[in-house]
This record gives sequence, C-alpha cells and structure tokens, in this order.
Amino acid sequence: MENIKIEGAERSPEVDFDFSTNTFSLKGESYPEDVTAFFGPVISQLEEHLDGLSGAKVTFTFELIYFNSSTAKILMGLFETLDEAGENGNEVLVVWAHEEDDDNMEEMGEEFGEDLEFAKFELRKISV
Amino acid sequence: MLAEKMYKFRGELQEQGIIFCYSGYMTEEVLTGIGDAIKKKLRLENTEKAVSRTIFSVFVEQVQNVIRYSAERVEDDRIDDATELRYGVLTVGLKNDSYFVSCGNKIINSDVERLDNALGHIKNLDKDGLKDLYKKTLKGETPKGSKGAGVGFIDIARRAEDFDYDFMKIDDEFSYFCLMAYV
Repeated sequence: MENIKIEGAERSPEVDFDFSTNTFSLKGESYPEDVTAFFGPVISQLEEHLDGLSGAKVTFTFELIYFNSSTAKILMGLFETLDEAGENGNEVLVVWAHEEDDDNMEEMGEEFGEDLEFAKFELRKISV
Repeated sequence: MLAEKMYKFRGELQEQGIIFCYSGYMTEEVLTGIGDAIKKKLRLENTEKAVSRTIFSVFVEQVQNVIRYSAERVEDDRIDDATELRYGVLTVGLKNDSYFVSCGNKIINSDVERLDNALGHIKNLDKDGLKDLYKKTLKGETPKGSKGAGVGFIDIARRAEDFDYDFMKIDDEFSYFCLMAYV
C-alpha cells in the first residue's frame, strides 16, 4: 500500500502512515471542519492494511496538542481498530505523547488507553 | 453620534467583562479567525496555559454547535448545503477573575425539552460520571439528528469549572438557548 503523508495544518494534524514499516502517527492540532472527510479516507486505508496483517510489529504514535470532541470520536475508533490488530496476532504498541504540562491531554490518553486489551500502551511526555 | 453610539455599546460590553463578541452568521472561517485572536490575546495576557487551552476548546465546541445546530439559518437550495449559514452570538470574557465563554442561538421549540434534559443530566454528573458518559457517547452510534460526535456538551462540562444554561420562548416556533461556561 502507498504510504500516506499529509502535512499538518492549522486545524488538521500531520498524518504519517508508513505501511511498509507499520509505523503510523498523527501529530498536531485536530479540529477540522469535517472530521469524516479528513479522517475517513486515511483510516479506511489503515483498516484495510491491518485487516490482512498478522505477526507484524505495529506502532501508532499520537502526538496531539489539541483535538475537538468530533475528533475524539475518531480517536476512539482508531484505538478499537488498533486493539483488534493486536487481537489478530500482531504486536501493537500505541504511544500517546503529550506536552509535559498538559494534564488534561495526559488524562485523555489514559482514558483511551485503559480500554486496550491486546495492544500495549505507553504515555510519553514531550518537553515544552 | 456614530462614534458616541458605538462607544456606548463598547462600554456596555466592557461592563460585562466581555473581551470578544461576535454576533452573526458563524462559519468555519469565523471560527478559525476568532480562535486565532483569542489565542493571541490570552498569550499576550500571559494567561495560564491550562486555562487558555480550556477557553479555546470550550470556544470551539460552542461555535461548532452553532454552525451545526442553530435554528436561525439561511440556505440556498439552488446550490448545496455548503452555502448554509447559521446565526449565533458568542462572547468571551473575564469577570470576577474567571473567564467565561457564552453562546446563544435559536432552537426550535420541540428541541427544548430534549436539550434541557440532556444538559440537566450532564450538569448533575460528577467527574467520573462525566467520564463514563463521554466514553459511552464516543463509542456509541451518533444520536439521531446529530452531525457531530454528540459529545460537545459533555466535553464542555468536563473541561469547564461549571456551566449554566437556560431557554427563553420567542414565539410558537422558536426559543432562544444560551449556555455559559466558566473556566
């Protein structure tokens, strides 16, 4: 599958999906006008890729500064997708990186992460 | 006369502690523009980062609610939905050392009860209750008639210190709805 690289913008995050190394990341701010239009295409490609995957090492890094509630719904779905990939015999690591002084973002990460059963979860602080 | 009238209006806003006020059709571009100005203003005032973040996120949820749900709207059926505009009033201010983000818009009368119940429920929940509802809503199907995640109000309640809201009946068709969040 062709790798996906979308530059970050004021209201949408940088998307870096490397399907050859199974390394994925979302970075920056996320409150796009239409979350489905922005995330729909890239996430369906990710799902399609992960669907046929087994025994692989997958790393997904979230490094978000801010996201709105519509994006939160997308993130919840992504966590579920990644956990499924773990259930299907892949070694999945989900990294939630947040600015060190952003307790709220840390808490959000913990809340998303606590539902993971098969994927490993790691909180990481970014110094500001 | 012109200046005097406007200066008086400005004074009335300032008396209420209002720093930003927008009344008109809300668009995503308006959101971006005002959002930028709010961020800059808070930075200039050296507002605590956590407070700035909360103000900004409450602002985004409030404005996106108007863009999606305000019942006062104009649309052009000849083109497409993208030309639809929705009206609302937004204020951001500082009073008694507490920031507030307030937003008002028309809603149809038949939506008042549902919204009142939903907000009443949210207001009575404690921290853990809000977290549970937030996660359940994120995982569940989008509520009927909702174009967003349907979690905007829960998000506001979780981030803000507190919030108030009420309704006022305008006529047989519309009521006015206002929500003020304190940060």
